[in-house]
Amino acid sequence: MTVEIAPPTSGVGEVRPPTRGPASRRPAWFGQHVGTALVGMVAGYALGHWIGNVIASGYAHVQGSGENDVAIVLGMVLGVLGWLAGIGALNYPLAKLVGRDSVPRETTGWTRYFRYNLTHKVVGMQYLIMVLVFLFTGGLLAMAIRTELLSPTSHIYGPGTYISIVSEHGTVMMMMASSMVLGPLGNYLVPLMIGSRRMAFPRVEAFSFWCFTAGYFVILSALPLGGFPTGWTGYAPLQTEATAGMDSYLVGFLVVGTGMVLAGFNIVVTIIHYRAPGMTWGRMPIFVWSILVTGVLLATATPTLAVACLFGILDRTAQTAFYVNEHGGSSYLWENLFWFFGHPEVYIMALPGFGIVGEMLPVFTRKPLFAYKVGAAGMVGVGLLSYFVWQHHLFQSGINPDMRPLYMLTTELISIPTGFIFLVGLGTLYKAKMRFEVPMLFCLALYFNFLIGGITGVFLSDVPVDVTVHGGFFVLSHFHYTIMGGLVFAFFGAVYYWTPKITGKTLNQRLGKIHFWMMFVFFNLTFFPLFLVGLFDQPRRVFEYAKNLQTLNDVASVSAFLLGSSFLVFVANFVWSLWIDPKRAPANPWGSNGLEWQTASPPAWYNFERIPVVLADPYHYSEPTEVPVADLAPTNFADAAAAANGGGA
Amino acid sequence: MSRSGRIAIVLGMLAVVVFLVVFTAMSFVGSEPPTVNLTAGHVPGRPVHLVLQTDGAVGVGPHPTWVGYQAKDPATGAWVQTGLWQVPAHTKLDVTIYQFDSGSALRNQNWGRVTGVSATLNTAPFGLIDSNKVPVGHTFSIPALGISVPLKGVNTSLKNFCTAGPCNPATQAHNTITFSITTPGPGSYHWQCFIPCGLGFLYGNGGPMQTEGFMGGFLEVMA
Repeated sequence: MTVEIAPPTSGVGEVRPPTRGPASRRPAWFGQHVGTALVGMVAGYALGHWIGNVIASGYAHVQGSGENDVAIVLGMVLGVLGWLAGIGALNYPLAKLVGRDSVPRETTGWTRYFRYNLTHKVVGMQYLIMVLVFLFTGGLLAMAIRTELLSPTSHIYGPGTYISIVSEHGTVMMMMASSMVLGPLGNYLVPLMIGSRRMAFPRVEAFSFWCFTAGYFVILSALPLGGFPTGWTGYAPLQTEATAGMDSYLVGFLVVGTGMVLAGFNIVVTIIHYRAPGMTWGRMPIFVWSILVTGVLLATATPTLAVACLFGILDRTAQTAFYVNEHGGSSYLWENLFWFFGHPEVYIMALPGFGIVGEMLPVFTRKPLFAYKVGAAGMVGVGLLSYFVWQHHLFQSGINPDMRPLYMLTTELISIPTGFIFLVGLGTLYKAKMRFEVPMLFCLALYFNFLIGGITGVFLSDVPVDVTVHGGFFVLSHFHYTIMGGLVFAFFGAVYYWTPKITGKTLNQRLGKIHFWMMFVFFNLTFFPLFLVGLFDQPRRVFEYAKNLQTLNDVASVSAFLLGSSFLVFVANFVWSLWIDPKRAPANPWGSNGLEWQTASPPAWYNFERIPVVLADPYHYSEPTEVPVADLAPTNFADAAAAANGGGA
Repeated sequence: MSRSGRIAIVLGMLAVVVFLVVFTAMSFVGSEPPTVNLTAGHVPGRPVHLVLQTDGAVGVGPHPTWVGYQAKDPATGAWVQTGLWQVPAHTKLDVTIYQFDSGSALRNQNWGRVTGVSATLNTAPFGLIDSNKVPVGHTFSIPALGISVPLKGVNTSLKNFCTAGPCNPATQAHNTITFSITTPGPGSYHWQCFIPCGLGFLYGNGGPMQTEGFMGGFLEVMA
């Protein structure tokens, strides 16, 4: 295990005290920030588009279709590079290329959130805001979908526009959900939870965030380019013959995927190598376990998606035939590559939610986490099995029928470790005297929602049921119950729970409860009727439906609008409580034993004045003798570390 | 900064966000093709006349090189590049299509068959085009009404072949196809071309074949 043991004033490694104000004579606005990144993006796009036109404007298919995908893709790629160069992400590698050293210019103050910053807490906050931007963009698109579905016959948009909105909604939400917890909370909290002062690779961490941000602009560009007709799954051959909006999908997922791989890799290395002395695997917070498994999945599954997107880009630009059946390729290849990433992706989205509630339940029940090791093992088991189930997405798409039972079995198997994780929560709740604070309400809602999502998932894993309800609203409701009902509820619980830690201020609890109850009630009123709509055969991604389903659709639509308005309550609370009328939070408002709560709120730039020596896991609640979680000021570091590890030096 | 100053900043930013959202939403709604209205001034019991043309390149809008239909607006007499046509219910609809585009042999000979109506080609009745002998450019099909009419292609070597729309029936080479239907009850009835004519896209089914207003649209039947 690699540990920084020196006090922070020595400036060991990458951890440096941030400097206030300009270190050079250049004015601050002349440095690199979001503004220069935008300039770089526009310039890069223009340059790439021009080069693409020079290369390909004479190609027969370009002249025939009137669309130059080479120019559009090159524009996007150079636009992203311009964005990264403009923000300063390329300074260090470029300086190294010419044999120079690049000293990061860390600053304090609010402007650091608009710059390329190497502090994990700043990156965590940047991720938090960007995740919310993704979420609200996708949410607005969801409102547009439900508006169109208010009537089976009167239309606001045509079918092409409708499917473009559906596709954009799905893709934006999937991109967001992949990073929803690992990005903001993983980057911010994991070093604090494992007793580290930093992430393993701060530049990689910041790079992953700015890739994520660039991906937002790329996927948003699909709308002015005419959208794409494939939904978030991007199936070929529809993908290959779609118009220019499809380029945004492929390049966007490639860019965001690059960020996901890097973020996952970085967090895995951090957890393995930067744990404080005494932070054994058996003492690691359950949230960190969930992030560890998620990081492994991100780092190992996402490259498949990136490569699949690259193949698609080559098919559309260089006229290769990876997905063109007639020319020796296979559209089925995309489906396999996509879902080989796509099903681990489901657990990339689900596991962090369980990590969050696993972390909070002991605090609000004042009980140890029930069967902690089973929970951790369950997470690892889900992570492993998630690579062996992807073909259940293809039950209806040309899979050899003899292979169906195998994938039905593996899919049903994964419900066992998932059940372990679920039961760990229920065991903790058993006979508990709960405190119904806002974060706890979100935890309980997760168990209610995920129970419905999980059970319907077991049904869907069975071939006969899947064949019957495939491609309809039943499947749609199932995954909204697991992802939104699980991850998004856990995320908001986490925001209420850790905001006092991160900002030193507390969110208004009354507004928090209004937010929760609106979100919980209207989430269920939105998506439960859609199970019925699905059982009555309403297909996804189609803007017309049978007239007898209008009442159920209208209930879902009106509830969706109210669900959307619950997020406005959250935003109002967030802005009011943190900026307009901030209230100082107590140092440890929930009475948590977690290591992250043993340091100041908000934490100093060095996290811990001295690297703590961890003595126990953080779940020893209501025990007769108090068990300190860590020695925060070890006088003799080597002896303390040896003692914490239960052995001699 | 005072609390009222912060509130003012938040409200200002909120206004910007609301403006952007409304602007984007309106752009999307406004991006739908226009509707040619044949119901205005319609006298019940009298037929309405829908006049269309198919061009190899529509010549207007964001995709001027795409193949597409244009409809004659009865109010102005202008050609409008759209696939949305509003017609009265339970009314005789006389359709005239000026086919200016070229054609080719069909992958599926069934597309050369007239279905659901009696049609004329250059004033002569016809029921089938053998595309191995005569090229076919497009079909005009309304699947929900069981209607499909093939459109004979124009010889591209003619001097007055139209290369970009809107084309002029008085001076440029074309075939004239006519037929009549009785419109059904109110509702939106999707029409489309079934022949993969999206040049430059894989299988010919991309671009104009996927986009409203080119090789597909809606017959909007009003009460």
